Amino acid sequence: MRLLVLEDDQDLARQLRAALTDAGYAVDVAHDGEEGHFLGDTEPYDAVILDLGLPTMDGITILQQWRRDGRDMPVLILTARDRWSDKVSGIDAGADDYLAKPFHVEEMLARIRALLRRAAGHASNEIQCGPLRLDIAASKVTLAGQNVSLTALEFRLLSYLMHHQGKVISRTELVEHLYEQDFDKDSNTIEVFVGRLRRKTQASLIETVRGLGYRLVVPSDDGRDDG
Amino acid sequence: MLSVQGNSLRLRLIAMAALWCTVALVVAWVVLSALFADQVRRGFDDRLAALLEGVVAASEWEEQEDASQTPSQTPSLRRPLPDPRFQQPLSGWYWQISDDSGPLLRSRSLWDGTLPKVDAQDRKDGRIFQDIVGPNGLPLRMAVQRLTLTGVKGAILFQLAGDSTASKADITRFDQLLAIALVVLGLGLIAAMVLQVQIGLRPLAQIGRSLAAIRAGRAEQLQGAFPSEIQPLADEIDTLLGHQAAVINRARGHAGDLAHALKTPLAVLGNEAAEVEGALGAQVRRQVVEMRRQVDRHMARARTAAAAGVLGARCEVRPVVDELARVLGRLHQDPGVEITIEGSVSEGGANVAFAGEREDLQEMLGNLMDNACQWAGGSVRIQISVRDGGLVIAVDDNGPGLPPERRAEVLARGGRLDESKPGSGLGLTIVADMAELYQGALGLGKSDLGGLSVRLTLPLAP
Repeated sequence: MRLLVLEDDQDLARQLRAALTDAGYAVDVAHDGEEGHFLGDTEPYDAVILDLGLPTMDGITILQQWRRDGRDMPVLILTARDRWSDKVSGIDAGADDYLAKPFHVEEMLARIRALLRRAAGHASNEIQCGPLRLDIAASKVTLAGQNVSLTALEFRLLSYLMHHQGKVISRTELVEHLYEQDFDKDSNTIEVFVGRLRRKTQASLIETVRGLGYRLVVPSDDGRDDG
Repeated sequence: MLSVQGNSLRLRLIAMAALWCTVALVVAWVVLSALFADQVRRGFDDRLAALLEGVVAASEWEEQEDASQTPSQTPSLRRPLPDPRFQQPLSGWYWQISDDSGPLLRSRSLWDGTLPKVDAQDRKDGRIFQDIVGPNGLPLRMAVQRLTLTGVKGAILFQLAGDSTASKADITRFDQLLAIALVVLGLGLIAAMVLQVQIGLRPLAQIGRSLAAIRAGRAEQLQGAFPSEIQPLADEIDTLLGHQAAVINRARGHAGDLAHALKTPLAVLGNEAAEVEGALGAQVRRQVVEMRRQVDRHMARARTAAAAGVLGARCEVRPVVDELARVLGRLHQDPGVEITIEGSVSEGGANVAFAGEREDLQEMLGNLMDNACQWAGGSVRIQISVRDGGLVIAVDDNGPGLPPERRAEVLARGGRLDESKPGSGLGLTIVADMAELYQGALGLGKSDLGGLSVRLTLPLAP
């Protein structure tokens, strides 16, 4: 899962990046409005954390332009402006949630998890796929009740596949959603990570669709065949 | 709509006009009445004089010797006077010819009375007129002429009197008619004056209506062009209104800027402290929370204090509630909350409105509704009503509610509902502060839905 943080305060941006990276997300940070708007417009983020008082371009304007251009990723507004009039205009501009500064990091993480989960169409904080179970709140994956130990990138990959289980996901899409912007992207590394995940879980769960990408298969005996 | 109060321009103008109008008309009545009476009297006198001339011209004189050896002349009329009233006894019309010794000849109408002897000495051969009382008590006008005739010894006094009651009645009737005419004219003038004052002062009434509209929040500036005498006043009022709005906005802006400027550093500080173990970290975290609460509380107060009681603030309640319900529905998606809204239309049919700033109503209701949504077990109800001339908004939820002993504590200075819920936890305190600044109140109770019932009472806009 790859997130964009638009925050002009350097210290707060650093804290956000640290907290979100710890929680297993790929994080891009922009400090001014125009750069942030451009990134959100061109990169496929899974969610955006948006400050309203930004230099060069106001947060509300950025959000309105994204929505007008059909960018529908979930957006959490994180701002010092906590009047209800600000909240109303933020939500009306297309925000999905609103968090006022100062805030608790855990609160912010919980809101982001909820946004990602809702965007993927899941109702609870646990996503299940056959014997695999992803606890979003705890950033933990279990296989038939057993803890699966994963690196940060392995977790991001599996988490993304589980959020979009049953759908075919291309390598490019995976690269775009797993790596930060300035990372040296190489789609071949995806194959390596998929191989590792197959070894750590069940090989049959992740199916290679030739020429298209990968798909997390929902076992039919689970009774939840929604593929 | 003529409304006259003790101290009003209208009353002053009309009273002054009525006063000088009355004085002028009374003077006119006196002068005209005197002129007319004089005219009538003069005409009557002319008539008497003409008749008297007739008596003089018709008189004949004969020498007579009487017992006293003194020759005397006896007058007689060559022909009777044409007016038959001189023949009817006591008709009110009489003549008499006399010399120094007494009456020589009298009209038949005098019967056995005489006309009073008059001393016409001082006007030699002149004619004088006198008011006298006749033989039967009637007021008479008498013309007297003293003549010295050739061949007649001594001065002869010719007198002729006529009944003047008819001309007196003419004068009285004229006075009455004149009085009636002048009173009607006076009333007409006063009515015209009232009309003139009404029309002349209409721009003032218009200013009054415009100000009422501004106070009720239906307008922001005085509307319309005013006469040049009033335009400066209207311009001045508009300038003041604009200035007031600007001052409020500036005050709000400053309070907001300060709060915003503080909040990001507070966020950084709090997040940094969250990483620090031990007493220092805990202390900083506590202080950050305290600072945030102070900022929130005082910012809300500063902004509201600037706006409370401002001329013309008005905001309809229902649109604000609808908007907040929409936003909260989006913010509280898991678990979802069903928000029902009841009432909003007063007996008059107009939408119920709050006499205050829209932002403040939004802030109060936002906090209350958000609080209800956080605690509700899935349903929140908003009821808007008008009670005893005040606006009452009740927010009920079906959550766990609050035991009575904790309710006062929550409203007391900075009490927190629950440390585990996000936010500064000052929501209800801030709402209570703001309501108080608007002379309203916040009350907590048990809801029939099972949870907490919050009743917000605010001033109702006219």
